[in-house]
Amino acid sequence: MSNNSITIAAALGLAFAATSAQADTIRIPLNDWTGQNLTAQIAGKLLERIGHDVEYVTAGAVPQLAAIAQGSLHFQPEFWDNNVGDIYYDALDRGDIVLVGPLGIESSEGWIYPPYMEESCPGLPSYQALYDCAQAFAAADTFPNGRLITYPADWGTRSRDLVAQIDLPFQPVAGGSEGAMIAELRSAVASQQPILMMFWQPHWLFAEFDFNWVEFDEVDGTCDEGNQSRGNACGFNQANVGKLVNRDFQATWPDAYVLVEALQMDNASQNAMILQVDQDGMSVDEAAEGWLADNEAVWAPWVEAAMAAQD
Amino acid sequence: MNGLRHWFSGVHAWAALIALTLALLIFRDALAWSVRYPNEWVVPLTPWLNSGMNWVIDHFGAYFRAFSDTLAVVMRLVRNLINALPWSVVLALVTVAAFALAGWRLALFSFAAVLYMVVIGFWTQAMNSLALVVLSVPIAVIIGFAIGTLGFASERADRAIRPTMDLLQTVPAFAYLLPILLLFGFGPVVGLIASLLYAVPPMVRNTTLGLRSVNAETVEAGRMSGATTAQLFWRVQVPCAKRQILLGINQTTMAAFSMVIIASIIGGTADIGWEVLTAIRRALFGESLLLGLVIALMAMVMDRLTARIAVREITDRQDQSFAQRYRYWIIALILALGLSLLAQVMPFLSDYPREWRYYPAAQLNAAVTYIVAEFSTSIDLIKRVAFFYVMLPVKMGLERTISPFSWGFTFTDTLKVAYAVAIVALTGVAWLRRGWRIATLSAFIGILLFVGITGMPWPTMAGMAVLLAYQVGGRRMALGMAAGMGFLLLTGIWQEAMLSVYLCGIAVLLSFVIGGTLGVLAAEFRPVSAVLRPINDTLQTMPLFVILIPFVMIFKIGEFTALLAIIAYAIVPSIRYTELGIRGVSPEAIEAGRICGCTPWQLLWRVKLPLASPVIMLGLNQTIMYAIVMLVIAALVGTSDLGQMVYIGLGDGDFGVGIIAGVGMAVIAMLADRMMQTISRKQARN
Repeated sequence: MSNNSITIAAALGLAFAATSAQADTIRIPLNDWTGQNLTAQIAGKLLERIGHDVEYVTAGAVPQLAAIAQGSLHFQPEFWDNNVGDIYYDALDRGDIVLVGPLGIESSEGWIYPPYMEESCPGLPSYQALYDCAQAFAAADTFPNGRLITYPADWGTRSRDLVAQIDLPFQPVAGGSEGAMIAELRSAVASQQPILMMFWQPHWLFAEFDFNWVEFDEVDGTCDEGNQSRGNACGFNQANVGKLVNRDFQATWPDAYVLVEALQMDNASQNAMILQVDQDGMSVDEAAEGWLADNEAVWAPWVEAAMAAQD
Repeated sequence: MNGLRHWFSGVHAWAALIALTLALLIFRDALAWSVRYPNEWVVPLTPWLNSGMNWVIDHFGAYFRAFSDTLAVVMRLVRNLINALPWSVVLALVTVAAFALAGWRLALFSFAAVLYMVVIGFWTQAMNSLALVVLSVPIAVIIGFAIGTLGFASERADRAIRPTMDLLQTVPAFAYLLPILLLFGFGPVVGLIASLLYAVPPMVRNTTLGLRSVNAETVEAGRMSGATTAQLFWRVQVPCAKRQILLGINQTTMAAFSMVIIASIIGGTADIGWEVLTAIRRALFGESLLLGLVIALMAMVMDRLTARIAVREITDRQDQSFAQRYRYWIIALILALGLSLLAQVMPFLSDYPREWRYYPAAQLNAAVTYIVAEFSTSIDLIKRVAFFYVMLPVKMGLERTISPFSWGFTFTDTLKVAYAVAIVALTGVAWLRRGWRIATLSAFIGILLFVGITGMPWPTMAGMAVLLAYQVGGRRMALGMAAGMGFLLLTGIWQEAMLSVYLCGIAVLLSFVIGGTLGVLAAEFRPVSAVLRPINDTLQTMPLFVILIPFVMIFKIGEFTALLAIIAYAIVPSIRYTELGIRGVSPEAIEAGRICGCTPWQLLWRVKLPLASPVIMLGLNQTIMYAIVMLVIAALVGTSDLGQMVYIGLGDGDFGVGIIAGVGMAVIAMLADRMMQTISRKQARN
């Protein structure tokens, strides 16, 4: 009995110590994909170097927005603005979430297919080829049209709209979830079956398999997704990858804010790290440390600028 | 009045509805509103719900937050406490507890289960999940006990409590994750609250049921010996209802476990649920299976332990010495202290070394990939047959399914006439041979297969549902059904609701037929039963998401995969209840049948199945409930029904859309449940 109460008292003490120490901790969400985890760890380790406490918290894509808006999370170093609903734009409008700027990751979205499809559909990668070889992509539930797997229904209907606008003989099938889409890609590649799917990069999947992108017509400037036709199809408007902070972030941690502003990441570095983690079994922590060790020249100025802001 | 009632419950009403359906279908081009419920008639509930929610957050948000902050402190405490224990201590404690309660078999199983969690190297995450359950179960039990007692004490309260509990159990948790997040803020507490909402109802039900079933004479005896109301309650009624209440605790524990993954969708948990979600997102079958097994094993051990407490004989221990009475406590304490001390000098007892991990995920993934590559043609064939001959006809009707590509010929007008003639003839024969009920069914199915469930006119579909409800359960049931149909129509989710009914309907039918057969086999042959039991246990405790991945890899995204996943989960109660029902048939009845010279086959069909049918119907009821629960999860592999709408709401952060779809599913589930229960009760009476 006495033993128990000692343990409980000790745990209580610990818990309260932990809560009080948290007041100044910068909380960073960890989403459920490797690329974001790497950026989060690198950003967190740099924040620790300028003397802040950092805590990583697992968070879903929509919940994290509510959390940043409410102030339970403070800093999301890698946020993808595609496929988010009004909850994001409302929070930006109200000023609860502040967009600090782009992270430097160049995203691209579009339709991918495995290279062996170029044998059964020779005109690829041009989208014009799809008109003639829809049957090469057909399946039982879509015949005679080709089967195009789109984003899950809750990520919007951009592929469906594009197919309708450019009058492509393909039937869009909603992907259900990222896991289901990847499972489908894995199984198609394993049995060399036809597949065409809406996808995005950077994504760890490209470290594991080869895929080619369907090419659309060149445009100047941004693509007007709502206004396309055959012969004048630009495909998809590309997503932005930005850095988000909470409303009070700049006032609470002015030096950290300077670091957040400076933080940059590029596709090549991230893909290399993703490969280390997902293929070679390295932990996210080790991969992030590895990048920091090799790229001191890159991040040293960020840290210096932040240190300068401390005085 | 009586004449009217007679007219309503009989053949005329059905004939009128069938005729009206045909009329609406013949003129469907002119009466497009009758097939697709017009958008202008939809009551715009979503904006109201959203602004109502915003109002609540603006005015009361602070209170909710204060509540969740308090809970967060407690949660952190429990988590730190559990994580402070070395794994070897937990292993020893669980094993001793299992041995003390249920003997060496369960002790061995528990030992292996806990060791598994250690060996695959996800100990901390597993303990974080355990913390969630350890915290939510006692809270759920206390709240559930209080509400259950209230329902026992006051008939009026019970009338409000019952439907609320039904709603909590049938509205998919995904639908209320978002409102909880908005109200209580972000963090593991959201998961805790979601899991409470789901885990409280079984406790409430069992408490009320237990207290109700206490013998009236016992209560009277207590009162005569001068007990006050409080004494009567705590010393007489609660002890007498103890068994039922303990069963409630058992079910509450299981419900809490089933929420582990859903709770991590919000995040902030860093537990095994999050790991499973990450693996599922990346479609890694091996990882998700191995991690899902952690939750399944934990749930199985807890289930056996708590179920054991519920049925244990309460022994009189007055005459034993202190050491004898508390021998297991003493052993546990000594082991825990000893191992804790030992862990100081042998650190591997508290931190399992990474190098000792065994995590065969890659091998499992390779196995699935091999199957996919090797059997892709035959897999494709199965899928085609199911699609062209079962699923598409029910969904879109033969008129849109039959084409040279699918059936090998065109559905010409001549063939259509032939189809109509065949259905009419079948209906006529059925009427003469089996009466009007079967004839009505035949006519209905004939029309349904022709236009598909999405092509049926809603006025008569709703009308038939209400009529059926009236025949099954009288006016009250009909009113309930009318209200439910009204909700589905007015909120504009009729189309999605029908797609849900289609997917669930096929799944339930197949589960019932296949599961029933397996159940009969299990009841007749012991080895079958022994093989089926662990499979059933795993299917029921394994997180539902994990079931999806191998199906997607083999059968691709789409409704067929969703259907298989639903069947995999919903088949379990059909198997279990059929076996239970047949085993429960009294030996005298079987003996009597045998004396009359029945063959084993006749014995089964004429004696055992009819006598077991109330229990089997209960199994069917459960199968329907399970199928509806799985509908939301199955939406992850691409469906277009209410389940998908729930995600759209969650993905967009749109509270209204999600909750309407969720309540829509609850409405379907509750109506089906009431109907089935009434039918099963009527059967039991006959």
